[in-house]
Amino acid sequence: MDLPLLLHHTVCGGLAAAGLGVLFNVGFRALSWCAASGALMLAVRTVALGFGWSMEAASFVAALAGGVVVQLLPSPIGVSRNALHILGCIPMLPGGFAAKAILGLFAITAQHPVATNETIITAVDNTLRVMFTVGALGIGLAIPTLVLRVRGMK
Amino acid sequence: MKAELLQPALGRESLEEIATVALDFGRLLMETGASARNVEEITGQVAAGLGAERVDTRVGYASLAITLGIRPDWITCMRKVGPLGVNQRLYHALRATAAEIERGGFTAAKARAEVDRLVRASPRHPGWVVLAVGVACAAFGQLLDVDWAGVGPIFVAAALGQIVRHQLASHKINVFLSTTVVAFLASTLCGLGARWAGSQAVARDMTGPVLLLVPGVPAFNAQFDILEGRPTLGSARAVWVAVNLVFITVGVWLARGLLGEGR
Repeated sequence: MDLPLLLHHTVCGGLAAAGLGVLFNVGFRALSWCAASGALMLAVRTVALGFGWSMEAASFVAALAGGVVVQLLPSPIGVSRNALHILGCIPMLPGGFAAKAILGLFAITAQHPVATNETIITAVDNTLRVMFTVGALGIGLAIPTLVLRVRGMK
Repeated sequence: MKAELLQPALGRESLEEIATVALDFGRLLMETGASARNVEEITGQVAAGLGAERVDTRVGYASLAITLGIRPDWITCMRKVGPLGVNQRLYHALRATAAEIERGGFTAAKARAEVDRLVRASPRHPGWVVLAVGVACAAFGQLLDVDWAGVGPIFVAAALGQIVRHQLASHKINVFLSTTVVAFLASTLCGLGARWAGSQAVARDMTGPVLLLVPGVPAFNAQFDILEGRPTLGSARAVWVAVNLVFITVGVWLARGLLGEGR
């Protein structure tokens, strides 16, 4: 396990989540929860990636772990659990892949496309990666919410 | 959704007054980024607290409908929903007030006055939101493996992008047009800054400052709505997210074309 990388991703995940918390008008005191949520999820994903898991599987496990912890937090903490889930997950959204996917599709439709087959494969690869990663994040968050809410731990 | 009468209100309110207040709660909740489940729950709490015996709510993307009953009468009302955003402090205040109303002791007029007060008194975004957005995007950039020379330009471009975004929103510019303009400006500025700073991955750096525009809350709400049995609303949100991503990408694409990056 690459510890400096883990620390780097954990800190960046926490900063990104807290920064977005301000954008979502979360109260100042609750920003620490936002940072903790982002840091936890990024740390879990980095560890999973370190074990050689795919991006989709690592994102799913990270979202699941974050979802369980958020559901078990005491109430109230000044930010909704739904928002805390989402703030933790947003740093894991594959924004870079999404941009590459759409730019790849633009490139295919250019008047004189270069290496069309390669471009199509790359664009489809990026598109699928975005879809599966976002799906994995959503399902990872939804499972603890649905299970623990049924058990009265809303 | 159906809610039982928990405690009678001070006086028997007219169904129309109760429906109007409940819909106001629902509309504001939608506009603050609540999921459909929360909107249904909280709207039901308000209506039940004001005396409704039956509450059925339909949450749509651009409108809300509610049917209330106090035997033997029924009423159905609809309310348009404004642009969907995220505002956690107002959301919390609404949620707490709805819980108070559910406990009883509120009339529709008092509940309405309380909602109006909440909207007026709810704290706005702090002035340093611009810096926070810059920090968030710089951290995102690091997660995307941009080099350190690109971090400063991402921070500055994202912060300026947030200022422009706020100005465009205050002038009620179409959200998709605003997204493209902000993406283009932030990406171009970042690209120029990254070149000046000697970054080795200018094309990648140019993606960093537009991450503030990625519609994370609607993207996850879309999935939650579908998983919780509201595919129509979830699909509408998902389409909005997809179109928004296209408009972000157009902004980045134009910026890359202008600077000749990523060819």
